[in-house]
Amino acid sequence: MNTVGVGLRAVHYEDFLACKRDAGWLEVHSENYFGAGGYDLHVLRRLRADYPISAHGVGLALGSAAPETGAHVAKLKRLVDAIEPALVSEHLCWGRGFGRHFNDLLPLPYTQEALALMVARVSALQEALGRRILIENVSSYLEYRASDIPEGEFIAELSRRSGCGVLLDVNNLYVNQLNNGSDALATMSAIARESVAEIHLAGHLVAPHCVVDTHGDRVAEPVWALYNAALKRFGMVATLIEWDTDIPPLEVLLDEARRARALQAEACCV
Amino acid sequence: MSELAALQQAFGAAIASIDKAAETAAIFRAGPDAALARLAVYRGNVVGACSKALAGAYPIVAKIVGESFFEGLAREYLRRFPSASGDLNEFGASLAQFVANFPHTRDLPYLPDVARMEWLAHRMYYASDEAEAGLRLAPGIHLNSRFALLTSPWPLARIWEVHQDDYEGEFSVDFEAGPECILVYRPQFRVLAGTLSAGSYRFLERARAGAPVATALEAALVAEPGFDLGAALAAWVEAGVIVNAEEEK
Repeated sequence: MNTVGVGLRAVHYEDFLACKRDAGWLEVHSENYFGAGGYDLHVLRRLRADYPISAHGVGLALGSAAPETGAHVAKLKRLVDAIEPALVSEHLCWGRGFGRHFNDLLPLPYTQEALALMVARVSALQEALGRRILIENVSSYLEYRASDIPEGEFIAELSRRSGCGVLLDVNNLYVNQLNNGSDALATMSAIARESVAEIHLAGHLVAPHCVVDTHGDRVAEPVWALYNAALKRFGMVATLIEWDTDIPPLEVLLDEARRARALQAEACCV
Repeated sequence: MSELAALQQAFGAAIASIDKAAETAAIFRAGPDAALARLAVYRGNVVGACSKALAGAYPIVAKIVGESFFEGLAREYLRRFPSASGDLNEFGASLAQFVANFPHTRDLPYLPDVARMEWLAHRMYYASDEAEAGLRLAPGIHLNSRFALLTSPWPLARIWEVHQDDYEGEFSVDFEAGPECILVYRPQFRVLAGTLSAGSYRFLERARAGAPVATALEAALVAEPGFDLGAALAAWVEAGVIVNAEEEK
């Protein structure tokens, strides 16, 4: 599925059910399909016949120092067994502890301790699911003083030690470059060519104090340029157009997908 | 505590409470002012995601109190009942309890019961599509698991009806209508709510608790002397509350 997919959101269910759309594959947020039944799962079961599916988790908070409970993994496993997605992914983040869940993708300090924890958690998850997963770099509005490993090296090492693939979010690299002064191209060059199995593209919002990863707009021009660089480094990689807030008509997402496809075609013919 | 746990505890404290933010800012490279502003972005994201999830589970409560009030209510709810799951569809189980004690909604005494009804509906929305054939009333006749019963002094079924997105009738609720027995059910994918007669309520309540049909019927007739089981069964087949297990399997 080295083509371009779009995120499946409830407002577009009827569009996808009505006829086959010009999308190579669909990605869903796994947690929205954790129910034993219901309409969402019904729609996903129908669409999986027409499109490869990617199950993208947002709730495991793998890098949390607090111990894992296992309940969330069990629900993910039920979904993965039922849908047999082509790709399963989660995030390089933390988000839980002290008796609560923050339901956000909070950045980790890039330290040996965090790396060891992520390697253990990702390995355990791959073991539980019986398959390789992808881990996505998140957007970050703050950088820890304690971080002493560059992001690209951290991701490369996580992939090398756990065997997981990388879901490279190009918009997040760009957002972090603006917020924290990191170098998006340097991060990409630290990541092994063959480890990247998916790329995310989304829009962001330039706010007064930082650039916020809203997934609420078209992909910005500098992010398209970075995507081009990513295609040159990583080759033809499955690419997703993500849109989560102020979701426009499906046609707008498909239009963005066409642009990504055109860039893919250009990059592979060079 | 490990360094990682300490950093996460400091970050988490600053998200949970603005009072802790100044202390936490020092763990980040950004200067104190930038760190505070960016911690506020995280705090806003966390509240926003939970508020959106809560409005999704409680669309009627959200409509009754209005969007901006609901955001404030959600913020306060999150403070008292933090999310415990990475699945936000599980967030909000205690809203009925919360609004019952929330001073700013005291002039909406029916709100806790509306919340109770909506949480039952929300959970039912994600329930299994299979008819559960465990509760057998008679050969071939089984109670579906996808229904819930509740009673209220308020006209919940009417409140439900007038707040549906596709409702086109007059927007009016008679709050003096008297106590009601309410059935929340899901024939296919859409969750519905309606009233039940006292006899119907009693019958379903007893039958679901495992009572034999004769016992459930006796209780129904005490509650409602004119209770007509035949008519009730026909209505429940229509609503998917009882299913023919042989056909299902």
